[in-house]
Amino acid sequence: MSEHGVNCEETLKEIERFLDGELDQSSQGEISHHVSDCHPCMQRVEFRRSLKLMISTKCGTEAVPDELGRKIRALIHELDPHPHA
Amino acid sequence: MAQTTAADDQALRDRFERDVLPLLPSLYGAAMRLTRDPSDAEDLVQETYLRAFRGFSGFKEGTNLKAWLYRILTNTFINTYRKKQREPQIVEGPDDIEEWYLYDKLGGRSVEASAETEVLDQIPDAEVKAALESLPENFRIPVLLADVEGFSYKEIAEIMETPIGTVMSRLHRGRKALEKALWETARARGLVDE
Repeated sequence: MSEHGVNCEETLKEIERFLDGELDQSSQGEISHHVSDCHPCMQRVEFRRSLKLMISTKCGTEAVPDELGRKIRALIHELDPHPHA
Repeated sequence: MAQTTAADDQALRDRFERDVLPLLPSLYGAAMRLTRDPSDAEDLVQETYLRAFRGFSGFKEGTNLKAWLYRILTNTFINTYRKKQREPQIVEGPDDIEEWYLYDKLGGRSVEASAETEVLDQIPDAEVKAALESLPENFRIPVLLADVEGFSYKEIAEIMETPIGTVMSRLHRGRKALEKALWETARARGLVDE
């Protein structure tokens, strides 16, 4: 491990922010580097990454009722866009 | 205040239709996760569009439209539908869930790393949605905004009108609670042994 690298403990502590892309570029890079060399950390990172993706995929699709778009369009056309003018 | 003309109004309507209407599927999905009821979700989305349209002339073009709309959606939900649903506002969440709850539960079952995620992939969409919906609102909202809608912590803080540190802690606890709910779902489905 390089002198400026992170260890397993530091990696696992930051894993959420790492996967959320919320770390600064250098921390993001250090963790990527550690994970590419550390199998146990990589497994955990990959697990959390898959979990996040699974949640996003399975919760992200919802069939919009056919009428809803039409109702909203009608609503907008009835309204004065400057109610306080 | 300058008089607005019919042409201005029409331009505003056109811009609203062009920029805001395409977000309907994502807003409706979020409304479903919040209200857990198709009829309430429709009402919530309509109310959100109504409020958004009324405020749209004051919305600065080029700023974050999606976050602005989610803020209206979240506020409308909290002020209207939550009262209606009489859900107790749970501020304290589950804190006793281990850091790697789901990984540890699923792990050790196989030497194949992908085996853990294969179990999760077998859970039907509707049951993953139900697991998310089972979380107390304070934890459900940040998880929904981060993992389903892809907002940044800063955007979530603005949408929820809470400090960023609160967002991070609720997101963390919400995700752990979701892991536990998913484990229970997998177990109830017989996808995993006790």
